[in-house]
Amino acid sequence: MRKGLFIILAGLLAGYLSFASENIVLKKTPKSLDNYYPPKSKKWEFLSKMYNMSTYFYGINLNINNEDWDNALKWAKKLKEEYVSTSKMVPEWKEYFKPELAERLVKAVESKNVDNVLQASRKLGQTCAKCHADNEITVKLVYHFPSFENIKIEDPIEFMEMETGKYMKKMTNSMKALKIYLMQGDADNARQSGEEFVERARALKGMCSKCHTSKTSIEAITGKEYLNSLENLTQALSADKLDNEKIFKALGSVGMTCAKCHNVHLIPAMVQERLKK
Amino acid sequence: MSRLFLLFFLFITACGPLEEVFVEEDLLQRPQAKRCADCHAEIFKEWEKSRHAVAWKSEGFKRESENYTKTKCLSCHAPHQVDPQKKPALRVEFKEDGVSCVACHFKEETKAMHGPLEVWSPPHPSKRDLSYVKSGFCAGCHQETYKEWKMAKVEKSCQDCHMQSLGKRDLIQKFPFYYFHRAKPRHSHEFVSLIASAKDVRVSFKEGTLQVENVGVPHNLPTADQGDPRLYLIAKIRYVDGKTKSVRRVFSPQAGNPLPYKTPLSISIPNAEGVSFIEIKILRRLAWKKEKELILSKKIHAKSLYSQNGKRDLGGSQRAGRDIKR
Repeated sequence: MRKGLFIILAGLLAGYLSFASENIVLKKTPKSLDNYYPPKSKKWEFLSKMYNMSTYFYGINLNINNEDWDNALKWAKKLKEEYVSTSKMVPEWKEYFKPELAERLVKAVESKNVDNVLQASRKLGQTCAKCHADNEITVKLVYHFPSFENIKIEDPIEFMEMETGKYMKKMTNSMKALKIYLMQGDADNARQSGEEFVERARALKGMCSKCHTSKTSIEAITGKEYLNSLENLTQALSADKLDNEKIFKALGSVGMTCAKCHNVHLIPAMVQERLKK
Repeated sequence: MSRLFLLFFLFITACGPLEEVFVEEDLLQRPQAKRCADCHAEIFKEWEKSRHAVAWKSEGFKRESENYTKTKCLSCHAPHQVDPQKKPALRVEFKEDGVSCVACHFKEETKAMHGPLEVWSPPHPSKRDLSYVKSGFCAGCHQETYKEWKMAKVEKSCQDCHMQSLGKRDLIQKFPFYYFHRAKPRHSHEFVSLIASAKDVRVSFKEGTLQVENVGVPHNLPTADQGDPRLYLIAKIRYVDGKTKSVRRVFSPQAGNPLPYKTPLSISIPNAEGVSFIEIKILRRLAWKKEKELILSKKIHAKSLYSQNGKRDLGGSQRAGRDIKR
């Protein structure tokens, strides 16, 4: 009986967290949500509320499974309190919340009737599921991924600070110029563009520390392997006679690092940028 | 005055436990830095000018720590207790004081103020602690710089350069208590960020490459754990045929390419055979400043590197180095 009830409740919880549709619509986050996430707040208040409600919900299930209705009621009341206070945090999301359903769950637990509890849980859970389906992804993208927006990087060739996007373009243009000059057989210009690319790619490592405070995570992507690739490219560029094959091979090795970093950061950054527009 | 001093001395030594009467309890309750200024006015004024004093409240730190949400950074910017080679914990009170007096000098274990000198200080217990004159003391926060300094294998400690000697001075300025103290060897609490000079960075043109070497600063140049200071090199190359070319480099700890102590860095110069002279400028930019400051400016002539028939005469790097004119 207990096990069965637990399975049903777990299924309900999983159900309200999942959604299926041919199109996924991402809604922009409301302005007032900024108040509960960095950089405005360092307490992550809204997220804490989510964790609390999730825990209190499970407190009801756990205790009903243990046939401890008194404790289940305590958690139901706490859940109602947290649900009501959360409903007041983001006015733009007021409609998602149905405080009367939280009250109904409390009453259901008071009645010690499992069917009533299941029904009330389902109803209340649906309000959570609706909001999560509409907003969870965007909230995570906007608030859980630090923005590249404010990161400036100084170009080591022009000694000018610029936005990340602009810098990336400058750096890739150096790389493209290297390839073009190589294919045109213009060794001097290929060398110069190549050296500029190497310097720009090296300076990129400095960008990591703007967010990452752990050296280990920085080294994982722009560590020895990356610096060795850049060194190999430098060596190839300093040869008396440029060996195109060697240079392209070295560029490929540098490109592996580009891909690694982009796979982790570029996709969320792009979505984030669109959401903020 | 000396009679007064003698009387006071006799009074104190005859009534040992009475020394406790002079203890100012709040000093053992981790006060704000300005409370220490009641007696140590000069030291406080020095510290006020230091980066330690603004470690927490500077706009740069507020921005870089994303409004104090990068929790890993916080403890070194408002440490509870600084101990040799140990990352401190974050202080709860008066964070705006940054790396404050009590953070470095008050130890929970002894409930006393620690420092390098043997002092008699009735308002608070004091303990002599020689770790204050060793580089290890700074290593808890300045971990990377400490590692670099160890690699440099020099005798000079962090304090030797960044807490310069001020000679013998009074530790306290409070009337009339300074009469009961003798001047002691004092070191500046401004914790100056020194600037490298032309003597510290050797630049030469050898075997077709520009060689840059940090020969005077016994840690990386520039150095930082999380900060982002920079060193800029601008080399304007003039060729014998009148053409010019510019080579620029930025050295930074975060980009992983600072200048280590006594490890030359080579920068290849295109068409080195045709170089007439190279004008070099090296500038620095501190992590918390926008403006760049000039460290070195020199002109290296390369003419004498070539024999009369125009072919390069590289009689070994020593020869090349000797021929370079300023």
